[in-house]
Amino acid sequence: MELSDSVAKGLQTLADPAYLGLHHFTALIEVAFRSLLSSRADGVFDHPDLKIIDQALLKHCHVAATTFILEAVKQNADKSTISSCLEEVKFDTERSDAFYTAYQKNKTSLENLLSSIDGCPPHVTDASWRLDYCIKNGHVHKVNQPSYLISFSTQNGENGATSSEVNFSCTLEQLQDLVAKLKDAGKTMERASQL
Amino acid sequence: MLLVLSDEHKEHLGFLSEVDTVVVGEFGRIAVEFLKKGSNAKIYEGAARKLNVPTHSVQYGVEGLMYLLTESSKLMISEVDFQDSVLALGFSEERNKLLLQLYLENRKEIRNILSELGPALPCYHNLEWRLDVQLASRTLRQQVKPTLSLKLHLESGGIRSARVLQTDPATLLHLVQELERALAEVKSNHCRRILRNIK
Repeated sequence: MELSDSVAKGLQTLADPAYLGLHHFTALIEVAFRSLLSSRADGVFDHPDLKIIDQALLKHCHVAATTFILEAVKQNADKSTISSCLEEVKFDTERSDAFYTAYQKNKTSLENLLSSIDGCPPHVTDASWRLDYCIKNGHVHKVNQPSYLISFSTQNGENGATSSEVNFSCTLEQLQDLVAKLKDAGKTMERASQL
Repeated sequence: MLLVLSDEHKEHLGFLSEVDTVVVGEFGRIAVEFLKKGSNAKIYEGAARKLNVPTHSVQYGVEGLMYLLTESSKLMISEVDFQDSVLALGFSEERNKLLLQLYLENRKEIRNILSELGPALPCYHNLEWRLDVQLASRTLRQQVKPTLSLKLHLESGGIRSARVLQTDPATLLHLVQELERALAEVKSNHCRRILRNIK
């Protein structure tokens, strides 16, 4: 993993017992993970244990920690990569292990978060339907045809930032066609997963 | 159910009893053509010149036929009811037969045209799909994330549009399950009873 000078320096400060005791270190790492995963989490400055530390220093350490975490998750870094990286910025085994424990605990959630950040098309999350029987309208009487209203719920952007719906109607035959195609896709997916 | 023709409508169609049956047939053809593709004033003028009658007589005649056809198609009146309805026009039997034939031959198509006028949501036209596995992105390397890309083609008022969507395997199975339930519902006792009784 390549780290910029600023991040390396921040991590060195984190590693240094002269600035942060182990207790404060653990608190800061915890806050760093939490702030990445929840937009509503308290900031690093609100943590009662970290109030005594210089704010500029705290900010630098926090940025360094979050950058390192994101980079590690992005690269799917394993324990040896992380330890050797942290060793370079003078982490002792105790701090390195504490970081790794927190990393393992939060890795899956962070991966999910990161994989949801991309410019993908709206994601279909659910379908609802209604079955109607059309009897007549202003232009034609005795229509007597069943028709379906289908509504696909979709989510757009990370964490389902905006949700909307795709609504359309279809006849019985059209719905059969739609279901057949989706089923076909499902089967292909199943087969592909068994490879 | 009989069709009630207004006096004005009868008067407009009355012109057809003054011309040859061949002309009536031709007017019928034009009326159907106009219903399919929209009317064209030039044809009225041409026909009026040939027959040596005022343009508006031809126009009223053809429009009267168009109205007769759309109203009877709209109500889906039976063969017998159509015959009884046009009796009020006082045409010869030959002309009545001609009208009946015109109605029966074009009823289905006219109903299709009329049904497009009703209010409707975009309707399903086609679905294309593609199975992708996302391997990496700017924010995350080393992924294995199967996704199904969907292109849903919809049609609204003759205009086609397509929406690109995607979904994941679990949701896809859920979608299939849910839509199969929708298909099964039309075969349920409740729906079959309603469908049988509204005829």
